[in-house]
Parts: sequence; C-alpha cells; structure tokens
Amino acid sequence: MLSRIADSLFWLGRYIERAEYTARILDVNYHMLLEQSQQPYRLHWEPLIAMAGEQERFRQFYEEANAQTSFEFLAFRAENPSSIVECIAKARENARTIRDRISREMWEDINGLYHTVTRFDAAEEIATGPHRICETVKFGSHRFHGVTDATLPHDEGWEFLRVGWALERQEMTARLVDVQYHNLLDGPAHLGPPDKHQWMAVLKSVGAYEAYHRQYHATIEPERVAEMLILHPQHPRSIRFSTNEVHSGLRAISGSHTGSYANEADRLAGKALERLRYEKIDEIFKQGLHAYLDGVQQMSAAIGEAIARTYFYYRVAA
Amino acid sequence: MLSIPMEALDRGLFKGYEPGDFYDEMFASPGVPRLHYAQMFQKLAGMEPAQFEERRKLADLAFLLQGITFTVYSDGRGTERLFPFDLIPRILPQSEWRHIERGLAQRVVALNLFLQDVYGKQRIFKDRQISRSLIYSCPHFRREMIGLEVPRGIHTHICGIDLVRDSKTGEFYVLEDNVRTPSGISYVLENRLVMTRTFPDAFQDYEVLPVDHYPAELSRILHSLSPHGEDDAQIVLLTPGIFNSAYFEHSFLAQQMGIELVEGRDLVVDGDVVFTKTIHGLKRVDVIYRRVDDEFLDGLNFRTDSLLGVPGLMGAYRAGNVALANAVGNGVADDKAIYAYVPAFIRYYLGEEPVLRSVDTYLCTRPDDYAYVLEHLGELVVKAVGESGGYGMLMGPTASQAKIEEFRRAIVANPRNYVAQPVIPLSRVPSYNPATGGMAGRHVDLRPYCLYDGQKVTIVPGGLTRVALQPNSLVVNSSQGGGSKDTWVLRGEGLRGEEAN
Repeated sequence: MLSRIADSLFWLGRYIERAEYTARILDVNYHMLLEQSQQPYRLHWEPLIAMAGEQERFRQFYEEANAQTSFEFLAFRAENPSSIVECIAKARENARTIRDRISREMWEDINGLYHTVTRFDAAEEIATGPHRICETVKFGSHRFHGVTDATLPHDEGWEFLRVGWALERQEMTARLVDVQYHNLLDGPAHLGPPDKHQWMAVLKSVGAYEAYHRQYHATIEPERVAEMLILHPQHPRSIRFSTNEVHSGLRAISGSHTGSYANEADRLAGKALERLRYEKIDEIFKQGLHAYLDGVQQMSAAIGEAIARTYFYYRVAA
Repeated sequence: MLSIPMEALDRGLFKGYEPGDFYDEMFASPGVPRLHYAQMFQKLAGMEPAQFEERRKLADLAFLLQGITFTVYSDGRGTERLFPFDLIPRILPQSEWRHIERGLAQRVVALNLFLQDVYGKQRIFKDRQISRSLIYSCPHFRREMIGLEVPRGIHTHICGIDLVRDSKTGEFYVLEDNVRTPSGISYVLENRLVMTRTFPDAFQDYEVLPVDHYPAELSRILHSLSPHGEDDAQIVLLTPGIFNSAYFEHSFLAQQMGIELVEGRDLVVDGDVVFTKTIHGLKRVDVIYRRVDDEFLDGLNFRTDSLLGVPGLMGAYRAGNVALANAVGNGVADDKAIYAYVPAFIRYYLGEEPVLRSVDTYLCTRPDDYAYVLEHLGELVVKAVGESGGYGMLMGPTASQAKIEEFRRAIVANPRNYVAQPVIPLSRVPSYNPATGGMAGRHVDLRPYCLYDGQKVTIVPGGLTRVALQPNSLVVNSSQGGGSKDTWVLRGEGLRGEEAN
C-alpha cells in the first residue's frame, strides 16, 4: 500500500472521529448549560473551547464564550480547523484523493454527509440550537463506520482507518476528562461542590451514562467516572479500549507478535497499553490526575509521530 | 427513402425541428431521416416529451450520484461540475466507421514513425520534407529525447484524434491530433453505461458495438512495455492530483485496470530506478502511464518549480529502467503547424495516400499565408500552435474587434506561434433542449481513442462525441459549456430488418 494512501486513510479516520467527538461534547453541554444559566458563562463554556485546544484562536474572533459564540466556533467556523464542518470537509477531501481505493459506498456516504453539513445555515442553526447538526454528524459517523466495516476489505487500509480514529479517540477522551476535572474539582472553592449533573453530562457526551450505572450501581462519583473513562477494558470510548485498538491495528500492519514490536509506533502503543492494563484509579489520583492525563496526551502525540515516521514520511536515499 | 407520417413533425419532441443549412447526422432532408437513423427517429418521435424528460432526469441523477464530474477553476477553489450528457445517440454505420478506422490507424502509425525519426535518425530533414528549424522551434520539442530509444519503438501509445464532419462536403476531416495525454475516454465508457441503464429500449432495434474493453486493451499494452517482463510488472498511473480537471478519469482508469494511482510525491528515483513509497518500504516501478505533461514530469530536467513530477525520472527513462506512456516529446507531432505536414508524413513514411482529409491550414511563417491571414482574420479560426483544449484560439466570425486586434498583434510579434484555418461548419445532431422541451440541432465533433502496441492500432468503436449545447456555438469543449453523447458504431448499416437476419 502506498504511503500516501495509508496517510489519507489514517486522517480520514481521525477527522471523522474528531467531528463526532466535538458534536457529542457540544450537544450535551449546550443543553445542560442552558439549564444552569445562573453561574457565570465563562466558567462553563471556556472548557469546551479548551477541549478543542483552540482557546487562542477563539479569542481572535469573540469577546466571550457563551452559547452562541461557542456553538458557532465549534460547529461552523471555517477558521477553526477543528470545527465540525471543517473536520467533515477534510475527511471528505482525504476520501476523495483515494476514491479508487475505498469502496464506492464509503465515498458516496462521506460525500453525502459533507453536502448535508455544508448546507446547514449557520445563523438558523445558532438560533435553534446544535441538536440537529450534532445528531446528523454523530449518526453520519456511525453510518460511515458501519459502511466501512461492511464494504472495505479488512486489510492494511482498514487497519490504518482504525488506528486513525482510535488514536483520535484516545486523545479526545484524555482531554475531556482532564478539562472537566480541572473545571469541576480544582475550580474556585466558592462555587461549592460540583453538581452531579455536570458529571452526568460528561458521561452522556461519550455515550457512557447507561453503561456507568450498569457497572457501578451507584450515584455519580467523580473518581468512578474517571475510572470508567480511563481504565474500562470494554467501553468503546475509554482510553484503555482506544489504546488497545491502536495497538492491535498497528500490530496487524507490522505483523509483529504479542509481546514484541517491529517499530517505534508498535513499541509506544504496546507500552501505553501495558501501563493502562495494570493501572488502578487511586494510584492515578495519587500521582495527580492532570499530570497523568497530560502524559496520555503526550503519548498519543508521540504514537502519531512514530506512525508518520515509520509509514508515511520515512526518509529515502535519493 | 422512408416516408414519415408528417404529423411526427407537428407534435412531440421533433415539433418544428429544422436541420438548417448544416449536415444533419439524423436527417437527409427536412422530415426525411437517414436510413441508419430511421428507427431511432421513429422511437423518439413516438415518445411523449414528458416521458423523455423523465429519462433525462434519471440519466442526470446517475451521473450526479457517481460523482462523475470535472473541475473548473473560475472561483479559485476549483468547483466540481457535471459534464452535460445528451440522450440522443450519435450513430455511425459500419461502412462509415471502417473508413474512419482505416484513416486513423494510418495516421497513428505515420505519427509514430515521424517521432521515431525526429528523435532518431532524422531522415526527414535530410530528405528535405520539413525544415529542421520548424521542428526545433516547436514549443513541445524535447531535446532530451534525441537518441533515446523508447521501449518497443512506441511513442504514440494512446492518441485521441479529433474529427469533424464538414457540412459542405459531408466528409470527415481530421481537426487535431492529440498525442500527448488525451483525456475523455472515461466519459465514453460511463456514457454507454448510463445510456443502457436509462434508455435500454433505444438499443432494441440496433446492434451496437461494445466499448468496455478499452481498459483491458490499454492494460495489455502497458504490460507489454515493462523492461522486466510482463509477469509481475509494476504499473502505475501518474496523476497531477485531485485538482486536475481530469482527476475523475485518472482514478476511474486506475481502478478499471487495477493499477496504483500515484502522484509525484509517491515516487522516488534512486540509482536510475523508479520506486513507489509504500508502508513497507520502496517498491520498484516498471511502467508509468503518465497523465502529467512533459514540462512537469521531472524537476531536474524540465521545470524546476514543478512539484507534480519526479526528480530524476528522465534519467531512469533514459537508462531503460522504466517505460513511459505516452513517450516524452510527443507534442512535436500534434503541434498545430506540424499538423499541416501530416499528409506529407503519411506519403513519406508509408507511401500511401491519406485516407482522411486534413483541414486547409495557413502557416503564418509562410509569407503568402501570413499576408492572407492578417487580411482575413474576421473569417478564420486562428490557433496558437502549442495549445489544446480550446485555449489560445480566435473564432474570427464571432470575435469582437478588440479580440481580433489582440490576435493580430500577437501574430505579428510571433508568426511561428500561429496557424489559421477556415471555419468548418460542423455537422449537427438533434439534441434535447430543456428550455423548450423539444429537439434542436447542435454541432458535434468526434474523438476516437487509438491504442498502438507497435504492431497494430486498436480503436474502441466510436469515441467521444462532444456537443456544443449552446445554440449556434461551434465550440464543444467542456470548459465552454459543451456536453457529450453516447456514440454508436453499428455492426451493420442500421437498416430496418437488417439486424434480425
């Protein structure tokens, strides 16, 4: 497989996942925050911008983060490379360059999703709320995963797609937990103990609310929420689960056996997975959650770089 | 002649249809269809306009869903547009096609011999058939090709030769030879596919020759070029990338032939060998079907600002480690001034008379022609010699005075760069006019695609019929609002009852 094609598949996976994740977080938080408008806006909306890692760019365009400005920025703003519409556009662009290598159904699906989201009228949507576009993108992403699994041979190309979305998910979940914890627990003391509704929102935004209750049969507790999102072996949005997907995808590509590695990307993913497997949540809290999650994000970035160096942009003598 | 009930022209799709002063491919005279179109005419005349409109929408939808588009660059970002498709087929009876086929094959072989000679022994200069300076001043002449022996001696693997039928004589003329990187074949294949799906009953009375073997035929030729044997030959299609107007075609052909579609950045040359960069390291490439122009092919040899090509590619080509189709330097054969000499090439290299006629061409380097052209700019078509695709062209009779003066200055400044031809009144085919819901005559040309394996020329029956959908327009290029039609070559003459026998 050509390096360029593998590269495009990898980013196709990442952009779809980023669009879906942003849509999920926006949708849940928007509606929850509307109910709690007695507190200063900035405390609620800024973390959403922080999750996208785009605080600086946001300040270039808006004075304050509120329901309208956050929604516009995260969903529509063309200058925001992580906005939902931009992510879908880039996913489609990646798909278009490899049209001859993906299934026709995949192309038609992502092409259709692109046309749907670019036809949304931003002003009108901002007036009525983000639910419509967020649902469209969420189900668009799910459908794309389904179409892909059902029509693309599960060969190296499919693995690069999987590694792409899983790596993106690993990083987004780490950011979500990090930002929410910082906001809700380390925030100014005068706000009092954080509302459990906000923790419910965190769970809902990753679709883990019902699963949480089945798992813990208990009230919502911040430590348990963190445990679920970081260490749960089966929940598809936990960091451990995503890391496992990255690792097995990379091993399928390199052909290396369990317990060994063929390149730096393999090694880093394997190491990250081993640590997650034997980690306990109270140990994580002991060393500091923020430091831990920061480490996860750095690890994600390092794996991404190693993949690029190993498979896409390796140096050739010429 | 077949008699047609007159009411067919009083109502329905052909209401008020006028063949006009042009050769009409369907009608011999007003209301009298040509024999091979008689059954088609009857079918269409018997159709309700609403019924036809429904078929048309179905066809448009088929193209849209498959994303069969070309890119226009008017807005700086590159917008995808549908290439308009007209449902009325252009029909050629077998006898007429056989004549065209013979003429094209002769022309392709002569052009190939000419290229072998120009970049090889150069007998043609010694025999004073053409001047060395005329050849060496072609913008697309490639000095780097001199003395380079291309695999199997083939330069012109794929040619798209443009033909037009002159309304005055009813004969086919060669208008242009495209022997660099001609495009459009994907539309030939897709048009047929959509036509059979949306208008299957149109085929009922005719035996139409199939076209879908083109990719297999091209693939066979590409394999035969491999310097390392045909088995396991690594063949790639080199595209300038997604922003190229023919990108759909590149991706379509790569998929149809099951070869890798690559961009310049996917290739690397090491020790005069070309490789693709794959996730598991470098992989040797044997044959490149390149759809990138010569000047962008190799930043070391041609344009150094090109990111589309592969630095060092010419070295690998010269070393015989990789084959290119088409060969480099072919532009010297489809230069519009050289065009005037092609009949002479056919006589010189093959000792035959040309089967197909060429359009009279005035070379502005000849003093008499130069004077004539400057005096008659308002009646002629003026073409820049190195351009293609309808660019760098003056259509005298419809051009503004300012445009004419602009070309006059350009010709005076650089006579070698211009030729002129009389305006050919192109033949017309009835085409659907959505504005009126009826048929109207529209001008067409024909581009057959010729494949040459060094032994014989294979031509997929028919080719691309391009149609100028704007009333009275003679320009069929897609960038100028042109569309296309399915082109039918019949197994026989298309006479009533013939196919049943």
